[in-house]
Amino acid sequence: MEAIDIDALVDRVDVDKIIDRVDVEKIIDRVDVDALIDRVDVDKIIDRVDVDSLMEKTELGAIIARSTTGVTSELLDVIRAQGVGLDDFFARWANRILRRSPADLPLGPPTLVDVAPGQAELQSEAA
Amino acid sequence: MAATEVEQGEGRQGHYAGSVTRLVAFGADVGISWGLFTLGVAALAFTIQLASGTKFSVSNYQIAYLVAAVIWEFIYFAYQWALGGRTIGMALLGIRVVKTDGSPIGARQAVVRTVTLPLSIIVFGLGFLGILTNRRRYAWHDRFAKTAVVYSWDARAARLRWLARKDPASPT
Repeated sequence: MEAIDIDALVDRVDVDKIIDRVDVEKIIDRVDVDALIDRVDVDKIIDRVDVDSLMEKTELGAIIARSTTGVTSELLDVIRAQGVGLDDFFARWANRILRRSPADLPLGPPTLVDVAPGQAELQSEAA
Repeated sequence: MAATEVEQGEGRQGHYAGSVTRLVAFGADVGISWGLFTLGVAALAFTIQLASGTKFSVSNYQIAYLVAAVIWEFIYFAYQWALGGRTIGMALLGIRVVKTDGSPIGARQAVVRTVTLPLSIIVFGLGFLGILTNRRRYAWHDRFAKTAVVYSWDARAARLRWLARKDPASPT
């Protein structure tokens, strides 16, 4: 029996022409997707997923850390701002009782605040 | 609401810190240091009990407990002030200790400040009254150690952060 040269045979087949004749829509219509899904073992697939590496790739951990940091810093900002407000309230009363003008008081140590006592009022008026 | 709260502290970095912020920070430090000390003592008691097999009670060693507490408080405050000019409580409230000229404090001043801090407390807390009455808001221990407490918190940055959170798309 003469041997058949499969490679030569395949070379002569025009695959593009065959694909053109295939009605893909019709094939899809014939597929029972529900039955296909029923046969898929989702648990097995999930077991094979490397969640840790996925977390690293999606930077989900970083997103969670960022949002937590945001909430913490916002809370700190509010607490500190409340503190400054109360500081001012008590300082105002102390100044009133001691009959002294806030403008005459130094704002801070000389190397940290470059405003001389007495200029604070002028500065706040300008602002 | 938060915007106005944050605005209250606008541009205060380097200014003398006020009484409420300082006392809340001190209260937080007392709570944190005692919490850590209690945890440490409990862990030590548990370890001794585990190793010796006999029940260990701290109440039998009251003097040792008191001495350990004093040493721990000294280390807690002095070490942190010497290291970065602030304790955990001060860092939370956004304040720090500096020399009276504004430069960072050294180990000697941190030690003097820690040793003289009880003086401000034991005389009915009168040592703290200076924060309200003194022009530079010095407490007694500040006078002894030649230190001042200033706001280290950047309220302007806090306000920008708040605005960015409020509307990330809006141009600044």
